[in-house]
Amino acid sequence: MSKPTVATDWLCGCAGCHMSLLDIDERILQLVELVDLRSTPITDLKEPDEKGVTVGILEGCINNTYNEEVAKRMRERCKILVALGDCAVFGGIPAMRNLVGADAALKRAYVDAESNDSEAKIPSSPELAKMTRVRAVHEVVPVDLFIPGCPPDADVIFYALTELAHGRIPEIKDEHLHWD
Amino acid sequence: MINLTIDGKNVEVQEGTTVLEAAEAVGVYIPTLCHHPQLTPYGGCRLCMVEVEGARTLQPSCTLPATDGMVITTNSEKVLKARKFVLTLLFSERNHFCMYCQVSGGDCELQNRAYDEGMTHWDLQPNWQPFKVDASHPFMVLDNNRCILCRRCVRACGELVGNFTLGFEERGANSLLVADYDVPFGESSCISCGTCVQICPTGAIIDRQSAYQGKETEVEHHIGVCTECSVGCQRDVLTRDDRLVRIEGDWDAALNHGLLCDKGRFLPLEDDRPRLLTPLVRKDGRLKAATWEEALGVIAKNMGKGKTLAALASTRLPAEDLALFKSIFADGLNAGLVTSLEEGEATASLAEKSEKFGTPFEASLDMLKETDVVLSLKLDLVEEHQVAGFFVKRQLQNGTKLIVADADENKLADKAAVTLSLKSGEEAAFLKALLDAIDKGADDANMDEAAALLKAAEKCCIVYGKGFAARADEKAVDALLALAGKLDASLIGVKGNANSMAAAQLNLEAPFTTDGVKSTFVMLGDEDPTQKLIKSLEEIPFVAVQATYSSQLTGNADVVLPVTNWAEQSGTYLNMDGRLQKAVKALNAPEGVLTSHEALLKVAKQLGVEPDLDWESSLMSRVPTIEIKKA
Repeated sequence: MSKPTVATDWLCGCAGCHMSLLDIDERILQLVELVDLRSTPITDLKEPDEKGVTVGILEGCINNTYNEEVAKRMRERCKILVALGDCAVFGGIPAMRNLVGADAALKRAYVDAESNDSEAKIPSSPELAKMTRVRAVHEVVPVDLFIPGCPPDADVIFYALTELAHGRIPEIKDEHLHWD
Repeated sequence: MINLTIDGKNVEVQEGTTVLEAAEAVGVYIPTLCHHPQLTPYGGCRLCMVEVEGARTLQPSCTLPATDGMVITTNSEKVLKARKFVLTLLFSERNHFCMYCQVSGGDCELQNRAYDEGMTHWDLQPNWQPFKVDASHPFMVLDNNRCILCRRCVRACGELVGNFTLGFEERGANSLLVADYDVPFGESSCISCGTCVQICPTGAIIDRQSAYQGKETEVEHHIGVCTECSVGCQRDVLTRDDRLVRIEGDWDAALNHGLLCDKGRFLPLEDDRPRLLTPLVRKDGRLKAATWEEALGVIAKNMGKGKTLAALASTRLPAEDLALFKSIFADGLNAGLVTSLEEGEATASLAEKSEKFGTPFEASLDMLKETDVVLSLKLDLVEEHQVAGFFVKRQLQNGTKLIVADADENKLADKAAVTLSLKSGEEAAFLKALLDAIDKGADDANMDEAAALLKAAEKCCIVYGKGFAARADEKAVDALLALAGKLDASLIGVKGNANSMAAAQLNLEAPFTTDGVKSTFVMLGDEDPTQKLIKSLEEIPFVAVQATYSSQLTGNADVVLPVTNWAEQSGTYLNMDGRLQKAVKALNAPEGVLTSHEALLKVAKQLGVEPDLDWESSLMSRVPTIEIKKA
């Protein structure tokens, strides 16, 4: 039987959850024994295989139309979708933007910021994705497993991936469960 | 007695017991949030829902009285589902960002309960409506985004402290925690006792001083008596890496059950007085750093004995230190004057009476918790001995009447049913007039009303402090006792500093005079010297001071010995209630700094005095005003 395949991607986040994934250190060798790591933002292959993967992992929340596309594509191409980290699970720090709205946040960052000069303006290229309300992944696509944490510990990630590799849905509880 | 079954376990409880209490009695855990053992059950959060056989809906166990034959299930599928749903609603109602909250990771009861239920996420997201944050208070931040509307803080502020500062405006999901009628917290009627911050189950009220200094699991606890006044509250001093993190009231304490005032909770962490770290000796008119040997040598050389020697001690220091101090200076060196810096102002006139009687006559502070009429004589329990003031203030909502008799402005006066004018020096006459008014009524309407209230009282308490005791002559004390006898009232004598009572027991009560004094030894500890003290010592040729902090007094001294502060020493304190309680060392002293006790022993050795170390029998050798209860 072939190994289960895993794809990851990041949405609106800080990449910290992927850093935490790398923090499993040498255990990554055990992991590649168990699974076939396919696309990730930090490897050459960026998108999950069209024919699909076993496990799709998303870090970050959904804050624009592009993230929506990425999340939907991952959902379509994976059997088990994992929301990794507080942004993916709850909305996280970027969701604080919802308290003021995207327009006010853009204005604060691109126009009013103390380091900006008088010509500062909000980027408006048509190629840019359109900003939306910040949402947790499960508000856009169904999620099968939630791994909260900011970031989740390397141990939790390793435990979850090992369980998934063996065809089990891990139970995130007790010492594996934290939201900070 | 009532018999009921909880999760298949039979339990027998008293009538009036709630299902939650009955469950606790048989070791069945039911999660709670709005519930707190010190508060009246409220039933606000609905986390403690249980299934009651025969009942249509789930019931909150915290407010549900146990009845005979009840069958309760706390862990059914239905209950567990409801519990998770309640938590989901609590999270989605406000804006909880656990990743940067200072209470996250162990100190948040809301988060802990969610972890207990294995919640990895919330099915319902918040609607991202921002709520008010009030950071105007010097010690606390009030963040409505993290509030679960459990009203623990509001209930504690009213029920326990009697201050009624915190309250809610608006209704339902729009409810907002506010101070007074929605004024900035820092400008409100808040007295900074911090009970709200201690009782808040989430990060909705957080403490500025200990923010991000260490979670509950990372700190060390040191439970002991507070040394700020003679109430003698038990508190928990939290430290981490030999640093003060926070001070909390001890919920299990019999006297203060968790309450503290700003002096006991917040102010010790604000202390920025310059520390003395080495002995100092005056050379060529200037104070210079010296070794302990040098400093002790100068003391041995210059400090006299007998009549011309005066010794003064701070009543903030442990009883062990005060007894040793007395043994060295009174017994060893026959000093002309051996007294405390309080000069017995709060104690002497009353202690004299109990000694004469041969029996204590004062009552426990606990009496204030159940009294129906309080007569306060020249005592402002908002300014001093605040926790005793809480006991009075919170009783007022239960119908207790307060009579304030004072010469000056009194902050409790606006809460009083009657206020009376009591001028200094007229204590005896005043009390006699009051006694007469009780018998025959009085022309003065206020006096008459006060007399009527006192006459009708079932459990009357008369409280007084330094303001009364310092000026009370024997006649006034006799009048006080006559009044108490007439009303069958409890006499509650508020003392001064944490060990005023111990100083009284050791007869360290004499007034201080500088006449003929050639040398003096001041055991100041971490107390702030008063201007009066600084002034009166200026004329004395040789002054040795044992102190923690640099001050004008140490600056004028000839020898200064550096000693520990309250946090760095252990010892025994005798509170106004006659409770012997231990203060517990929480921090290590800086290198080269000794405890007052160690420093005194060095002084004794240098002076060739063999001190008596049996402090306990010295303390018991005088008839106290209130019975001494050993812990």
